[in-house]
Amino acid sequence: MRPIFRVARATFHEAWRRRFLNGILVFAILIIGSSWVFAYLQPGAELQMVIDIGLGSIRFFGMLIAVFLGTRLIPDEIERRTIHTILAKPVSRAQFVFGKFLGGAGTVAANLLLMGIAFYIVFAIKAPQLQAQKPEDALIFAAMYSNIAKAILLSFFEIFLVLGIAVVASTLFSWVLSVIFTFVIYFVGQMSDFFQQLADPERGASKAAQILLGTIYRILPHFEIFDIREAILQGTYTPWTTILRIIGQGVAYLVVVLLIGYLVFNEREV
Amino acid sequence: MKPYKIIGWLVVIGLIGAICPLDRSVEYDRLVLGLQQPTPWFQIAAREGGGDKELAITGVTGVIVGAALGGFREVAASMLWMKTHEYWHKGEGLQAKALWIMRLVTLLDPHWLEPWRITAWHLAYNLYVETDDPAMRAKYLQMGVDCLKEGVSWNPDRYDLYLELGWTYFDKVEDFEEANKWFRAAMRYPHPDYVDRLVGHAYERMPDIPQALDAYDYCLKRDPHDGTAKGATLTIRERYLRPWHLTEAGDYDAALDAINEYVLAQPRSTLGLHMKGYVAEQAGRLRLAYDTWKLAADTSALDFLAQRKVVELGHQLGIPVEDTAQYLYMQRVGKEMKVTVPGREKLEH
Repeated sequence: MRPIFRVARATFHEAWRRRFLNGILVFAILIIGSSWVFAYLQPGAELQMVIDIGLGSIRFFGMLIAVFLGTRLIPDEIERRTIHTILAKPVSRAQFVFGKFLGGAGTVAANLLLMGIAFYIVFAIKAPQLQAQKPEDALIFAAMYSNIAKAILLSFFEIFLVLGIAVVASTLFSWVLSVIFTFVIYFVGQMSDFFQQLADPERGASKAAQILLGTIYRILPHFEIFDIREAILQGTYTPWTTILRIIGQGVAYLVVVLLIGYLVFNEREV
Repeated sequence: MKPYKIIGWLVVIGLIGAICPLDRSVEYDRLVLGLQQPTPWFQIAAREGGGDKELAITGVTGVIVGAALGGFREVAASMLWMKTHEYWHKGEGLQAKALWIMRLVTLLDPHWLEPWRITAWHLAYNLYVETDDPAMRAKYLQMGVDCLKEGVSWNPDRYDLYLELGWTYFDKVEDFEEANKWFRAAMRYPHPDYVDRLVGHAYERMPDIPQALDAYDYCLKRDPHDGTAKGATLTIRERYLRPWHLTEAGDYDAALDAINEYVLAQPRSTLGLHMKGYVAEQAGRLRLAYDTWKLAADTSALDFLAQRKVVELGHQLGIPVEDTAQYLYMQRVGKEMKVTVPGREKLEH
């Protein structure tokens, strides 16, 4: 385990020195901090707008950070030839890949945490101003605070999965291609419900389309499951059992992705 | 292939297979808890693909695709909503485009109530007055009503759109039975006090005087200082309750005499004229009913019920009349105007 943590620690420190990632973080915090300004675009639904922009920004900018960080983690080591020094030490390829992922995950987690804190501050200040609180609303607000925490927790696992895909893609393709590949997987995964509906024979899908679209739906990670904004916007309480099931599914996909990464990277010439 | 690789790939396939049951339970939870995105992408795609190409607006598709992929549905809806205002107020034939985007906004964020309300208002009120053709007006009325009904189906647990729909029926279609139905639906959810009074107003205009009194009685029990309910109760008891009871008893002459007392004193009283027209119809004096409704219609340009009655009775009496939008709307939705006293059949048996 120790080599994994050493690689992870070095990766974490190195990631914080990447200026463009810090730039994305600063920009994200600015957007989140000013989300209440956009609230007035939706008269009658100002609070919903703050939540949508705030949580949407956490997911979106978190995804950008994960893609641009994840796709550089291993190629940079290969380009600088430092990978030879690392692998020459008693560090296996599996430990290297996993350590790199863990270091990246730590960086992404820290970024998400900062964005989450920024959003919580904005929400705590603006929510009472945007929605008049009657005594009977207290429960709804309590559910909202708890749901927001759950939404941020889920975005951690969503972004870890994106990071995993980006790391694996970088072991397969060039940098540009791996960035495109990760974006495509993310966006298509975001609309996996749509593929499921497309595969529905009631919508006139042919047998071949049913098999093809059904397979895409089964294989691709379902990123939309990590988005529980609708529950927050509607004031529906989301139980922990559901959250844990979603996290379980995210972790299972992550294991699959990292295993594929190991299998591919183990055979690769560096 | 090395054995560890074969095992590795088999594990990958096994894990993907193992995720399926977990995926099903998550899907079930999302469906039950309403966590799925409400945006009906298929409907949007159908509008985009099959819609009027002339109405298609550059950039709209991009915004929608961005919303779908980036997860900023509400932001995209707001951006498009601002565009609708721009088009609407520019005029110059851009109103159709504005409405086209408004409908997209309602689909993009169906839980945002404002677009449903405004879109229906533009249809049933603003486009309605843009044309003099009653058939077109009837069409716009129906589009407005249908828009609100669709909005209600997306937001069934909030009073707002029930009220809006009830008000459109009350104020624009003047189908008070439908208005009453939707006002009472709004009452099932947390709502402002005036909704309770609107139920009474709708009963009053149907007319169903005993039910109207019950509705105002409810308002007064809730708030004994409710001046509107108090005033309406006094007016009904003073002017309309007696004619109503006489009509129910089949003593139409006495009922007409009773209502005439007030119509003579206030010849332009809308409710008085409506009551008189109603009693005359029950008495089978269609010509008197026609004249009374005609007087009410001539008294107020916004008395759509009277105008509709004039058309209906005019057709029955063979008097040449011009169909009104509200009459044509009723024809469109296949609804016959009620000419019987509610509950009268019980008395007859």
